[in-house]
Amino acid sequence: MQMSVFALAALVKIAVVMGVVLLTVAFLTLAERKVLSWMQDRMGPMEVGPYGILQPIADGIKLFFKEDIVPAGANRFLFSLAPILSLVPALIGFAVVPYGPNYEIEVSGVRIKPFIITDVNIGILYILAFASIGAYGIILGGWASNNKYSLLGGLRAAAQVISYELNVGLAIISVLILSGSLSMVTIAEKQAGSMLNWNIIGMGHGNGIWWWFPVTQFVAFVVYVISSVAETNRLPFDLPEAESELVAGWMTEYSGMRFAFFFMSEYSNMILVSCIASVLFLGGYHAPYPGTILSGGWALAEGVFWFTVKVYAFLFLFFWLRATLPRLRYDQLMRFGWKVMLPLALGNIVVTSIVVYLLRI
Amino acid sequence: MPASQWVKTLIFYELLVGMKATITVFIDRIVLRKRKAVTLQYPHEKRDLPGTYRGMIALLKYDDDTEKCVGCDLCEAACPSRVITVISSEVAGEPMKRYAKEYYMDMTRCLFCGLCVQACPVDALAMTREYEWAKYNKRDLYLDKEQLLALGDRNFPVREKKLEFQHPNVAYFNIGYKNLPPKDS
Repeated sequence: MQMSVFALAALVKIAVVMGVVLLTVAFLTLAERKVLSWMQDRMGPMEVGPYGILQPIADGIKLFFKEDIVPAGANRFLFSLAPILSLVPALIGFAVVPYGPNYEIEVSGVRIKPFIITDVNIGILYILAFASIGAYGIILGGWASNNKYSLLGGLRAAAQVISYELNVGLAIISVLILSGSLSMVTIAEKQAGSMLNWNIIGMGHGNGIWWWFPVTQFVAFVVYVISSVAETNRLPFDLPEAESELVAGWMTEYSGMRFAFFFMSEYSNMILVSCIASVLFLGGYHAPYPGTILSGGWALAEGVFWFTVKVYAFLFLFFWLRATLPRLRYDQLMRFGWKVMLPLALGNIVVTSIVVYLLRI
Repeated sequence: MPASQWVKTLIFYELLVGMKATITVFIDRIVLRKRKAVTLQYPHEKRDLPGTYRGMIALLKYDDDTEKCVGCDLCEAACPSRVITVISSEVAGEPMKRYAKEYYMDMTRCLFCGLCVQACPVDALAMTREYEWAKYNKRDLYLDKEQLLALGDRNFPVREKKLEFQHPNVAYFNIGYKNLPPKDS
């Protein structure tokens, strides 16, 4: 009985999160086109529905009914596997993200946390591990297409994702030092208080009179944001699909729903990366002011609200970057990753460790 | 590198300038409503054409429904892309008068330069302001005389009066001219 209630609750939570994420993915495509066009004095999609609001549905139907082409000479198995291998890791990471306060309700003797699917004690490590598998999808898709542009795109993606995932990992380490846990829920809980306790400012880690000393993770935050843009292959780091050089990179040969899988994986990766950034650096579901304004059940909704606001602010930043910046050259990308981001992240770890050690004496 | 340059590099100064530019446009457009889109929703709203717009070429008629064209082939000679094919013929029973028995324009090649219109001695050709001529079949753009005359009828409903006095040598070729004025002596 208890087991079935637990399983049912988990399934409901998974269904809700999947639904929200996929709906967000669908409307992110529209939002991106709209925001880009507004920044460039255009209108964006206007045909389907009022102000083009139904464009994602039309796109989805179109992709669904498109011919499914497997190019001659392609490796059929890997060609079909690659989109799945790309989408599943992107969606699986949402399992450990705390969407709201760590609050428990009791349903027939089973304690359920409504805003957290699971509290894995290695949450962030789990997300990083699956994000790395996502790179295989891109590489295999590029290789299996039997197309030189796809292969070049896949190789670029491999090099880029590996270089920048290193920086993501190193930027996260300093946050882990501060919170002393790999669990996403604990990391978010440690930043309770006000905006000043968020890891981006980092007050509240010292003992005694040094409580105010900010162990600011701003450098880690910047490194994380830049590296995560690169990791999700978004402009200005979209070299794997550089359309002016490589047609469409690793997805040149993909069409129909396979292409849609790659597309969805790109956007759900964006959402996942935004979720991680807001949990790790911007206090997750905590409001910028101390405590909550509303009380009781509404306080929980307030937490979810602030989390949503942070995630969407990040997603807007992605669009904003895309509207502003041109694509980097490949050697610039690599030089920036290895010679700027990596030393910055390493230096940040060293400085943070020393400061935290001194503060906790 | 001077210190200010170092600071600019460290805070990604150039990037921030660019980001500021785009967000300014965004806020002006969405929040302050100061800007408008420069693009048009094309099939629903169309641009104003400039006065000298050169669209599809049409053959013209006089107001008594006689063709202006005298089949002189000058347009064919003037055309740089060899769009025009004129098959000239005598008017039956009037050996001095000619007309275009067949007249073809391959609009797939036309570059709308207007040289044929300039070359025409009797102003039988004109450039209309029509432009939406996308076709699924390329051969639909190989226009014959009837289509070109229909274009002319459609776009120039008010027709020109038949010229009373043209240069006699030109007027001589004109089909519609029943009573020739006496030649200059």
